[in-house]
Amino acid sequence: MNSSIISKRVIFTIAITSLSIYLVFLLNPEGALRILINLLTFAGIYGLSAIGLNIHFGWTGLLNFGHASFMGMGAYVTLLLMPHAAGREGEVTTTGLPIIVAVFLGIAAAALFGLLLGLPAIRLRGDYLAIVTIAAAEIFRLVVRDLESLTGGVYGIISYTENLQKFRPEFINNLSLNYEFAPSQAWVGIIAWISIFLTLILLKRLNNSPWGRALRAVREDEDAVRAMGKNAVWLKLQSFMLGAGIAGLSGVLLAFNYGSLETTVFVPLLTFYVWAIMILGGVGSLTGPIFGSIIFWVIISETDRLAYIFFENANGQQLAGFRFLLVGLLIMLLMIFRPSGLLGKKEELLLDVK
Amino acid sequence: MSNNLLEVKNLKKSFGGIQAVDIKELIFNKNELTSIIGPNGAGKTTFFDLISGFQTADSGDVFLNGGDITNSQPYKIARMGMIRTFQLTKVFDRMTVLENLMFSGSSVKNDSLTKSIFKTRKQKNYERDLKDKSFEVMEELNISHMANSYARELSGGQKKLLELARSIINNPDTLLLDEPLAGVNPKLAEDLLDLIQKLASGGISILMVEHNIEAVMKISERIVVLSEGTLIADGTPSKIRNDKNVIEAYLGKDDE
Repeated sequence: MNSSIISKRVIFTIAITSLSIYLVFLLNPEGALRILINLLTFAGIYGLSAIGLNIHFGWTGLLNFGHASFMGMGAYVTLLLMPHAAGREGEVTTTGLPIIVAVFLGIAAAALFGLLLGLPAIRLRGDYLAIVTIAAAEIFRLVVRDLESLTGGVYGIISYTENLQKFRPEFINNLSLNYEFAPSQAWVGIIAWISIFLTLILLKRLNNSPWGRALRAVREDEDAVRAMGKNAVWLKLQSFMLGAGIAGLSGVLLAFNYGSLETTVFVPLLTFYVWAIMILGGVGSLTGPIFGSIIFWVIISETDRLAYIFFENANGQQLAGFRFLLVGLLIMLLMIFRPSGLLGKKEELLLDVK
Repeated sequence: MSNNLLEVKNLKKSFGGIQAVDIKELIFNKNELTSIIGPNGAGKTTFFDLISGFQTADSGDVFLNGGDITNSQPYKIARMGMIRTFQLTKVFDRMTVLENLMFSGSSVKNDSLTKSIFKTRKQKNYERDLKDKSFEVMEELNISHMANSYARELSGGQKKLLELARSIINNPDTLLLDEPLAGVNPKLAEDLLDLIQKLASGGISILMVEHNIEAVMKISERIVVLSEGTLIADGTPSKIRNDKNVIEAYLGKDDE
């Protein structure tokens, strides 16, 4: 393992991330800061989710394709525990828990959902687990949609953002007057990036710990783990719960970023975006998903501008198609030229599914 | 009961219509080096899988040191001091040799999530001792120069050594070795044999499945012969060498 090669990777990663942020300013002569704050907020939220997924796949080798449901579970439980308005009538409930408690319970609910989903599914290997998790996530979404009296069903949940925004520091408001960006979104973005920072501190400790070592052993060979007297199922469940809890927090932040919550947010596409970010950043890498997420969101949000360069009179539908084309192309190029992503360790982690 | 290590009674396992294992009674003694031989498909590995919990038996009982371990979880059986290796070597490919050993030597308590979050002094000390212990085992098996290599970079024989090192780091009472010499060069095979013998004389009970008859005859105190899932002979090497059934079913056939 050569440390200078790793630092080269870090330099390359920071360079390409800076370049993509520069691209935002280049393509948007006006309102670049507003666009940047928008995409950095999304990048923070999705990056946090990808960090959770990385515990499942990068550390433990679990093919989880139901990540959106963990995000959804966190978001719905948190919002429903706070003052909100749900459903067609949309009457605002005035009672509810303080936001800190609600978020904590939302994270716990997501982790518990991870455990519940994991109990029957976790004995499955590889692609079988992928199939079960993607199906479970869809079941979750459809059940939430049909429980209209509780979750607001297709009408969703509104009037909950004040729970967070009333704590917004004054300096954001002042800055927003001078630089013309949405202060509420900036506040969500700041919290997302603080969450990432704190999560990474926790995971850095765990990554170099006996527990992290045990998860990696599970990833490499479950049978050998069992033969050494270790309970592989319990280790996998712990991994599932931790990753699901982190996803739950990112789901809460996503809800606050949108301002209203509907079940359509948690379609499988969300899971695939998070997968793309994780692969782009580097499977198994701690900080990789952050850079992956920023680059991913620059592509997502600047596709329109790029499309105008290639096609002068593109309409909305064509733009949407072009966006998917770019994301698909990105993943293909990655798989061919850099399967270990921006910051993945080549010696340790190729994208290798058993 | 006192000297019985492992007792197997009426153990049966079939796959589809094929009876893989059908053993009426078989008792292994403590502190003995016993080899299990037999032609391919005789049910040797299935037998290992059954007694180590990796496959569930259709019927029958398995007792380890007098306690019933029939169809117990593999990790529970391993915690009782019986550690197995695999016919196709299972090392943790994308972990270093040192990590392979430290994971295997680490106690369940030491692996706990909460301890790993708080990184207690106790855990740090434990890890330091564990590292020393891992290097001791590596020295013993002559693989310490590869401590920081990834396990997948090792040759087949070195992987066998690593697997053996991993199995003995926690001083097990019993070792189940599934073809420890398969795919190993003659020089290393010699070393491995010495090592196995040394472990046996150090007080570890060893059951070994092996096709290398020369080696088996040389180091075993007792040989058990399986054919088509059933026991056809059981005794000292010299007795087995001259057993008519064994010559017919195994030794005579693939005359090596």
